[in-house]
Amino acid sequence: MAAAKPESKVLETAPNLGLLYAKATATAFGRGGDLPGTRLARHGVVVDPGHFSAYARVCRLPLGDVLPATYPHMLTFPLQMALMSDRSFPLAMPGLVHARNRITVLRPIRTDEPLDLEVWAENFAQHRSGAAVDLRATVSSGGTEVWRSTSTYLARGATAPDGAPEADIQVPVGELERVAATWRIPDDAGRRYAKVSGDVNPIHLSGLTAKAFGFKRAIAHGMWVKARVLGALAGRLPDALTVDVAFRKPLLLPSTVALATAAVGADGWDVAVRNSKGGTEHLVGTIRPL
Amino acid sequence: MASNTKPTTRKAAIVGGNRIPFARSNSKYAQASNQDMLTATLDGLVARFGLQGKVLGEVVAGAVLKHSRDFNLTRESVLGSKLSATTPAYDVQQACGTGLEAAILVANKIALGQIESGIAGGVDTTSDAPLAVNDDLRRVLISLNNAKTMQDRLRALGGFRPGMLAPEIPRNAEPRTGLAMGDHAAITAKEWEIGREEQDELTVRSHHNLAAAYDRGFFDDLLTPYLGLSRDQNLRPDSSIEKLAKLNPVFGKGEGATMTAGNSTPLSDGASAVLLASDEWAEAQGLPVLAHFVDGQTAAVDYVHGGEGLLMAPVYAMPVMLARNGLTLQDFDFYEIHEAFASTVLATMKAWEDPAFCKEKLGLDAPLGSIDRSKLNVNGSSLAAGHPFAATGGRIVASLAKMLHEAGPGKRGLISICAAGGQGVVAILES
Amino acid sequence: MSDWYRDFANSGFGTTITKQLGLPRPGVLRRYEPGGPLLPGTAVIGSAGEGRLRDTVSAVLKDAGVTVQSPVTADGASDGGKPAAVILDATGLSTPGDLTAAHDFLAPALKRLRPSGRVILLADPPSDAASPAQAAARQALDGLVRSIGKELREGSTANLLYVPAGAEGALASPLRFFLSGRSAYVDGQVVTLSAATLPAAEDDEKPLAGKVAVVTGAARGIGAAIAKVMARDGAHVVAVDVPASGQSLAEVANEIGGTAFQLDITADDAPQRLVEHLRERHSGGGQGCVDIVVHNAGITRDKLLVNMDAARWNSVMAVNLQAQLDITQALLDADGVLNDDARIVCVSSQSGIAGNRGQTNYAASKAGVIGMVRAWAPVFAERRATINAVAPGFIVTEMTAKMPLGTREVGSRLNSLQQGGLPVDVAETIAWLSQPGSGGVNGQTVRVCGQSLLGA
Repeated sequence: MAAAKPESKVLETAPNLGLLYAKATATAFGRGGDLPGTRLARHGVVVDPGHFSAYARVCRLPLGDVLPATYPHMLTFPLQMALMSDRSFPLAMPGLVHARNRITVLRPIRTDEPLDLEVWAENFAQHRSGAAVDLRATVSSGGTEVWRSTSTYLARGATAPDGAPEADIQVPVGELERVAATWRIPDDAGRRYAKVSGDVNPIHLSGLTAKAFGFKRAIAHGMWVKARVLGALAGRLPDALTVDVAFRKPLLLPSTVALATAAVGADGWDVAVRNSKGGTEHLVGTIRPL
Repeated sequence: MASNTKPTTRKAAIVGGNRIPFARSNSKYAQASNQDMLTATLDGLVARFGLQGKVLGEVVAGAVLKHSRDFNLTRESVLGSKLSATTPAYDVQQACGTGLEAAILVANKIALGQIESGIAGGVDTTSDAPLAVNDDLRRVLISLNNAKTMQDRLRALGGFRPGMLAPEIPRNAEPRTGLAMGDHAAITAKEWEIGREEQDELTVRSHHNLAAAYDRGFFDDLLTPYLGLSRDQNLRPDSSIEKLAKLNPVFGKGEGATMTAGNSTPLSDGASAVLLASDEWAEAQGLPVLAHFVDGQTAAVDYVHGGEGLLMAPVYAMPVMLARNGLTLQDFDFYEIHEAFASTVLATMKAWEDPAFCKEKLGLDAPLGSIDRSKLNVNGSSLAAGHPFAATGGRIVASLAKMLHEAGPGKRGLISICAAGGQGVVAILES
Repeated sequence: MSDWYRDFANSGFGTTITKQLGLPRPGVLRRYEPGGPLLPGTAVIGSAGEGRLRDTVSAVLKDAGVTVQSPVTADGASDGGKPAAVILDATGLSTPGDLTAAHDFLAPALKRLRPSGRVILLADPPSDAASPAQAAARQALDGLVRSIGKELREGSTANLLYVPAGAEGALASPLRFFLSGRSAYVDGQVVTLSAATLPAAEDDEKPLAGKVAVVTGAARGIGAAIAKVMARDGAHVVAVDVPASGQSLAEVANEIGGTAFQLDITADDAPQRLVEHLRERHSGGGQGCVDIVVHNAGITRDKLLVNMDAARWNSVMAVNLQAQLDITQALLDADGVLNDDARIVCVSSQSGIAGNRGQTNYAASKAGVIGMVRAWAPVFAERRATINAVAPGFIVTEMTAKMPLGTREVGSRLNSLQQGGLPVDVAETIAWLSQPGSGGVNGQTVRVCGQSLLGA
């Protein structure tokens, strides 16, 4: 982190995501300018066991005393939403596409640790199809950072400031031929994850609402697919790791998809989630020990 | 691989066995529960060996598809049988390895002198399969049950949606991979280049061997008819390559698909049980010793992320057991390789013959080598008999023990059974 | 399977009706119950001529706790009320004239006989007679006993035992059988005893204790009843039936604490497999492996002879006769398998004696059985063993329950007891012939038919 980091605005409670979506949609037009320097934070957040178990169930993650790598995102995502829905944020939220997500777990986080969260936006970048921005998050426990993430969002047709760097939304992986698992993903997968995550983006909820945003059918949440990949590898992951995935083509619901895995080194993996029939790539990623 | 480190113990004797004929799914045994079939099988064994009212060391059995009410399936079956109600029992479950694993458990306790006699068995029904309440409905019902006030109850009921009424149907698929066992086997068949014709040949032989065994009365003292069935329902004595060639592949995809409903085992219902004992106990009861249980070995493979075939674990278990007993793969008079799929049997044998595989995967200097096919599944196996998952081990142990007994003293038999979850169980019997 | 007509005829209203209409009045038969007395009342013993069996009979009765009362006088006076058994020792007969004494003794006694009473005549065999007159007198008893059987009512029976000189010691077991409820449906029979060396007295309640008994066709019907009675009397039963009947066979075996052995007795290797099974399971103690073999398995494949195919003929012959021959021979040939004093009982049939329309194959096979036991008897006698046949008449089974009501009712009434027998009646007779004490009964065919009118 840069030394001259601006003061964070500390929130007492998690923002309501439904209201934020409404606000973001209502204020979608006429946005522009540079990224705000705002940082949002929450202190002493304790994981709600009921929520954690619901999350574990919907993502098919093992329920235990340690948080899965994707869970802290449940805590930081509402703050990122609050940041993005604010008028000062230069990109309109409807139309933002989650293109890449990189999570680093510095050490295993116990479910009962009070956590301090902080999120901010950075790296306004240009991409051949528009502009991209990184939503960053960091989670600390007892003053030490234990988890961090970077979510790269792509805004098609938007323009990054002049001289902005080139966006990097690729995650290179090796050969992935062997299918480890086949998943039948039902049409209510989006609604189920939305209920737990609060990510009620209409493109995930139903065919009708998805059509309004130009999708043939409802699409699965990228972070849910990522969590399921980790679930499939449960027990075979290092304690401290970086899991970096690129979200490719939308995963239309319902679908049957195949997870391909390849071991890399002692504790690492390359993974891909593809459509079982057409082979369309939905997610590719790498998992590496720290 | 340690050799000759087995402690000196006595070998458990196989006195005999009993099974009911295996039925096709949703047919003759459609109304029979696992407990019904296991109890009938135990009673047949009791009748064969005069065990009425006897207290045995233990009865160990299990089922792969089990209702929640059957948590104590084996004990309940014992209580309903003619054995003494003071015979203890417990359930085991190792998918298709259940029956053989149960035999290993009983044999080991006998070998250690902890018990003098015991029954190992298994049962499965695909007809009376446990349908579970939809997961969501289950949660609603549980919170409803836990609700103390009317308000809590109404809140719990508020979570109900009509869609929750759809039941959960157990699927013959690996939970971790979502693939049917046949699809897994098809991947292995492709990897080992197992042809359609050799699979069909093996299938025909299984049917013909089983039919011949019935005709010469081989099963007269291994089987007790049940619900009007006195032979395995899946048996097709007139099976032929030509008939099998007409079937379309059901597992695997495209041009290379070779696995049909003919050369794969059908879903079936049935139960089996084997009586094991110390030599002294058998002698005291005036009961015969058909063979001894020499050794058993279980192995597992990483079929999810490790790149090994789901049903290839017996391939790995075998060299460990052979080395421990100072034997080679050729030192046997009978081989019983469970025919989950014809391709599985062929891939298993091919792997043992493959120098590169044996070196790289099994860590052997030389391949285990080939098996004399005329000694393989000589009285038929699962392709013809059917395969009620947990019942197959008991079927094979009892039949092989009888074959060894008929062949005379000093003969050896080998068992290899693959199981879901990437597991495999192998065992050696000796007359 | 209840006999509705018998129950009706023995009810208050039914008694009146049947008496007035002159309908048959079948009695309720006295059947054996473990622990019960041999005879539910007193016995009376009479003689025709100077008999030699009175002491033996008295000893048997005394041993069984039966009180012997004085003969009933011609005017019906008696010191012990109504006798439950009337025993005539006719071993003193010399001429037909001596039969007058039989008449004088029997007539008043039978008048006072209790329901389910027993009339037993004892005599020397006509074949041993010293003169034609003596032979005539002895043979006359045959006609006498058969006629008494037909005159008796209310479940009473009459039977004749020919006791040759030297066979007195063999009398106890047959005498007890014919007095007891075990012989409920055995009526009008003539059994010839022979001299035999017998073991010490056996346990009355468990006469077959410690014995191993093979019963073929044991899965159901008469075979299952045989297995049960054998087990009740103390035997370990090896219950044999075809593999297809294995489920009911196992149920029978489990009910009686025996073992089930699935075997197709017509298979080429069946005798060998039975021998091996017995050696494997029942050898030890220096004795043979098996004490009792009951050849009960039988099948019917009915068709008029002109329409009968070879398959029907051959299969019936194979099961009903050839298998009995082959298995018996194999047991005789196998060293140490058949105990020296073994008992073989073969199930024949009334059809084998009287013949039956549509049953040429069956009747031939069952008549063959009678010839077989007669021929084998001397061979068995040499080793203190016996072989006998039992010929059931109309026995009420699952099979007869399926017959049309008319046929069944007529069939079941065509005998002196005016009712069908039960499987247990056949079983009791077989169990009696299997007793160690029955060594004096050899080569005989005992009908269990209630003195059927057919072939009598």
